[in-house]
Amino acid sequence: MTDLSPITALGGAVPRSVSFGALSLSENTGLALASLSLRRGASQPVPMGLQLPGPGGWTAGNGVAAFWTGPGQWMLEGEGRAEESFARELKSRAPDCSVTEQTDGFVAIEIASAAGPEPIRALMRKLVNIDAAGFGPGCATRTGLEHMTVFVIRRAEDRLAIIGMRSLAGSLWHALAQAAARLEGEPA
Amino acid sequence: MTRLSGGLIDRSQTLRFTFDGKSYTGHPGDTLASALLANDVRLMGRSFKYHRPRGVFTAGSEEPNALVELRTGARQEPNTRATMAELFDGLSANSQNRVGSLNFDLLAVNDLASPFFAAGFYYKTFMWPRAFWEKLYEPMIRRAAGLGSLSMQADPDAYDKGFLHCDLLVIGGGAAGLAAALTAARSGAQVILADEDFRLGGRLLSESHSLNDAPATDWIAALEAEFASLPNLRVMRRTTVFGTFDHGIYGAVERVSDHLAAPFAAVRQTLWRITAKRAILAAGATERHIPFANNDRPGIMLAGAMRSYANRFAASPADRVAIFTNNDDGHRTALDLAAKGVEIAGVIDSRAGVRALGQYPVFAGAMVSDAKGRLGLTRLQVTRDGQSHWLDCGALGIAGGWNPNVHLASHHRGRPVWDETLLSFVPGQDGPPVMSVAGAAAGKGSTHAALTSGAEAALAALSELGRTATLPDLPRAEDAPINQQAFWHVPGKGRAWVDFQNDVTVKDIKLAHQENMRPVEHLKRWTTLGMATDQGKTANVTALAVMAELTGKSIPETGTTIFRPPYTGVALSVLGGGDTGKHFRPTRLTPTHDWAKAQGAVFVEVGQWMRAQYFPRAGETTWRETVDREVLATRAGVGLCDVTTLGKVDVQGADAGEFLNRLYANAMASLKVGMVRYGLMLREDGHAYDDGTCARLAEDHYVVTTTTAQAGPVYRHMEYARQCLWPELDVQLISTTDAWAQISVAGPNARALLERIVDGFDLSNTAFPFMACTELTVCKGLRARLFRISFSGELAYEIAVPARYGNALMAQMIEVGADLGATPYGTEALGVLRIEKGHAAGNELNGQTTAQMLGMGKMVSTKKDAIGAVMSRREGLSAERRILVGLMPVDASQPVVAGSHLFAPDAEQKTETDLGWITSACFSPHVGSGIGLGFLADGTARIGQEIIAANPLQGQSVRLRVVSPHFVDPEGGRLRD
Repeated sequence: MTDLSPITALGGAVPRSVSFGALSLSENTGLALASLSLRRGASQPVPMGLQLPGPGGWTAGNGVAAFWTGPGQWMLEGEGRAEESFARELKSRAPDCSVTEQTDGFVAIEIASAAGPEPIRALMRKLVNIDAAGFGPGCATRTGLEHMTVFVIRRAEDRLAIIGMRSLAGSLWHALAQAAARLEGEPA
Repeated sequence: MTRLSGGLIDRSQTLRFTFDGKSYTGHPGDTLASALLANDVRLMGRSFKYHRPRGVFTAGSEEPNALVELRTGARQEPNTRATMAELFDGLSANSQNRVGSLNFDLLAVNDLASPFFAAGFYYKTFMWPRAFWEKLYEPMIRRAAGLGSLSMQADPDAYDKGFLHCDLLVIGGGAAGLAAALTAARSGAQVILADEDFRLGGRLLSESHSLNDAPATDWIAALEAEFASLPNLRVMRRTTVFGTFDHGIYGAVERVSDHLAAPFAAVRQTLWRITAKRAILAAGATERHIPFANNDRPGIMLAGAMRSYANRFAASPADRVAIFTNNDDGHRTALDLAAKGVEIAGVIDSRAGVRALGQYPVFAGAMVSDAKGRLGLTRLQVTRDGQSHWLDCGALGIAGGWNPNVHLASHHRGRPVWDETLLSFVPGQDGPPVMSVAGAAAGKGSTHAALTSGAEAALAALSELGRTATLPDLPRAEDAPINQQAFWHVPGKGRAWVDFQNDVTVKDIKLAHQENMRPVEHLKRWTTLGMATDQGKTANVTALAVMAELTGKSIPETGTTIFRPPYTGVALSVLGGGDTGKHFRPTRLTPTHDWAKAQGAVFVEVGQWMRAQYFPRAGETTWRETVDREVLATRAGVGLCDVTTLGKVDVQGADAGEFLNRLYANAMASLKVGMVRYGLMLREDGHAYDDGTCARLAEDHYVVTTTTAQAGPVYRHMEYARQCLWPELDVQLISTTDAWAQISVAGPNARALLERIVDGFDLSNTAFPFMACTELTVCKGLRARLFRISFSGELAYEIAVPARYGNALMAQMIEVGADLGATPYGTEALGVLRIEKGHAAGNELNGQTTAQMLGMGKMVSTKKDAIGAVMSRREGLSAERRILVGLMPVDASQPVVAGSHLFAPDAEQKTETDLGWITSACFSPHVGSGIGLGFLADGTARIGQEIIAANPLQGQSVRLRVVSPHFVDPEGGRLRD
């Protein structure tokens, strides 16, 4: 084990989290990420037992998940495996594909609602130009958020993940927290 | 008293407010305008140009006169329409556009001088003398005009933005809009109903008509209860849809907190971008007036507005009122006011032979030809068959017919068409394709027609979306025919206002006609008609009618001006829609940011990035002192700099080498695994585009770097090449810029330092020579990448670790390298180091330079093709004589200024003799003077010669010596040792 101590994308020793009313935001520092691209003529693999989703989709398997990022391209997620060589393992499972380590390329912010889907939808309306009604569990897309590029994943009716560039973590957190705080302050 | 019985105000609560410092009371449900009328205040403002006393003219968003400064301090908001300001306890408003009191405005002198202020006056008068414009005329005009004043303080409130999506957007919550929303929402479609008012109902709230033999408010209340139970319907009160944009997108402003006392718990306003598959415009209609002499007296207003004040707000502008009409609707006002106990002095109807519909005097075939009462109407002159008499009254309602609110249907340059029966413009067929128009906005103004057309428009819109809906049971409603006479203005000598807000009269339109400003767009600009904040909602059609009469053309032949967003004024704050200041745009932080901050680094913005510029130490008094120390420490020991911001692109695939060969001017396919090569990319036109390094980690795996500034564009360029130019190649790309923290370790002690952190890796020159690269582990097992590359000219490496470890790695290297002189350096020292070494950067790669100019002409391989290679050999580029050189002052105390142009010592300094320019300059602690890099014609041949650096803008002229661009170690021995 290295003698260096990592810091989170938000600069902390431990992941940041905060709640506003029914919504909670937490930095998911355990999430390993690796991109997977089909090489020319390669057939679509089933890495780690995962059926890779089609355009706009996200599928979750046993501790791993994947979302579509482009034709023949996916991002694989390994829950709690950020400290492992996740990309290397993926490459060994899909040797005919191009695999690139992306764990530290991004910050993942998991948003959960304690009051069902509506707070998630309300937050989406303030953040991204996506029709929340048509963006149910299993949907994932890349879009703009406050001049930043992000992946948005609807993990469940009451859970949404926003994955943005790591260097922009502070600005992304500010945007999400402010939107959530403003929703809490809105007149009923 | 002018407070009437009934109305939709909550008398159980009293709200206190002030206007011009005087205290009044009103009730929830009031607007500022209605509360003032109920308090017997008719005078609410002064006109724009002549400072004429003005009263409220309408009861809605079209208000031209009653503009006030609402709230105080930093929240003071000028030009707020009193008709739209919902009353709240503690509201404070002041009249505006006056010098002195509202009753005695010193600038009312303008009114006496009005013959000089006719249309076109400014254009003609203030032309001479020319010098007077800036110092005298313009300040004077601005002082006199200007409308409300700004607080000159920062806006303290928060604004928000958001995105909504729906199947159907219904714009307007009157009879038509409610029927449309009900029909659509019951079908299960996603529906948004937006209305600018704080209460749903539109004109239904202002009329005394019943629906199903019960008050209209009963039906609305039942509807609102049903609406609340429909999760697929979003009802947005206080929300103005202000523009129709491309692809079914609408802009809307929701006034979230404007009706509350400050400070606000939530945001003040929200800007919504609504994407709707279909839209129904049910924005109603705006009543028009009939200009006559002195028709702007306070107390004169639209008859429909007078009915709104009476029926909805329980207020009347006077106890005795008259009506001037050309249609039956004016009589409706008389009936409603009479029913509320207001005395009707008479209904002056331009139509001959009409009879009263109730107990009030009628002057048929008559017109109002003048009005008295400077601060408030007292008498009207009624003229019939050339005979005039005066009629005492405190208010006049004018009913000149209704203009459909076609604006949002015309934002796509949809041209409204003239309906001779309705005597108004109605939406044409060329409006936005996904929008239909219903109710009064479509000229279907009876309550029955509005309800029916709203529901039918919803059915049609849903049907286009493949949805079925059923027509709801609509209430029985009035369906009175329109009986009106075309009567546009009262002829006469006095000034008759057409556009109240910009003080444009019938005479001004006549003058425009006389001066040949006849096309409607000329008329508008010459007279400023319709160009005030109300955009002439109560004026435009009347003006067209007057111009049509003068030209002898029909109204449709006269035409309409273009409609543009916003429909009503939108504050810039809400268009900003969110953060100002620090969070105005996102900021990228490097992995070592926190460490650098703890060291007291000074940061600099580099695009979105914040980079450490230099690391001042105690006792250092200038930035130069710090930078000099950092440079010298690097050249003497070892310097560390975070270079994560350079773009990194992972390139994989069987054809990765071939792909890079085609992308870079120099060969990349021949690069050995485990080695790095400097690469230069050209644009298609042959100019230098970007530079960086390519590291080959495996046969089918490269990592390439870009400059910080071009990281995004170069990645896009590469994707374009991959997807569009050479889709046949097996190559996959992905950015990894943020994934790896990359630190430059430069200086003679660089190897010694790295040996202390690598896990047993052989860093000897033989094992890991200049331009080698490898994957390895450092700091007891952390995966890392090491590149032996140098930007400073020293023995140097770049080490990359997963970004989360960058901060700790930097701290550890500084700690373990203390005895080796390990020193952090920032972008400033980075710049000095590379200028001393003669490396090109953004200053040199400015889009106008070629490989040849950079001294890299031979890098453009002739053995293969690459983007820009052919074009780089074209005559215009290959004949380029300027080349990168180094420059030093002859007198070492003289500065070298970047941007200076270079001239031969004896040459006249002009464009024709310009030999080049200085691209980069700094003070070099290594050389001991200022140094520079620049492009100089025949530069290589001029080495050793003197040249003049001229900066004529600042009168600078410095004698420089032309030298090699490599001030440090020109043989390159240091980097290879």
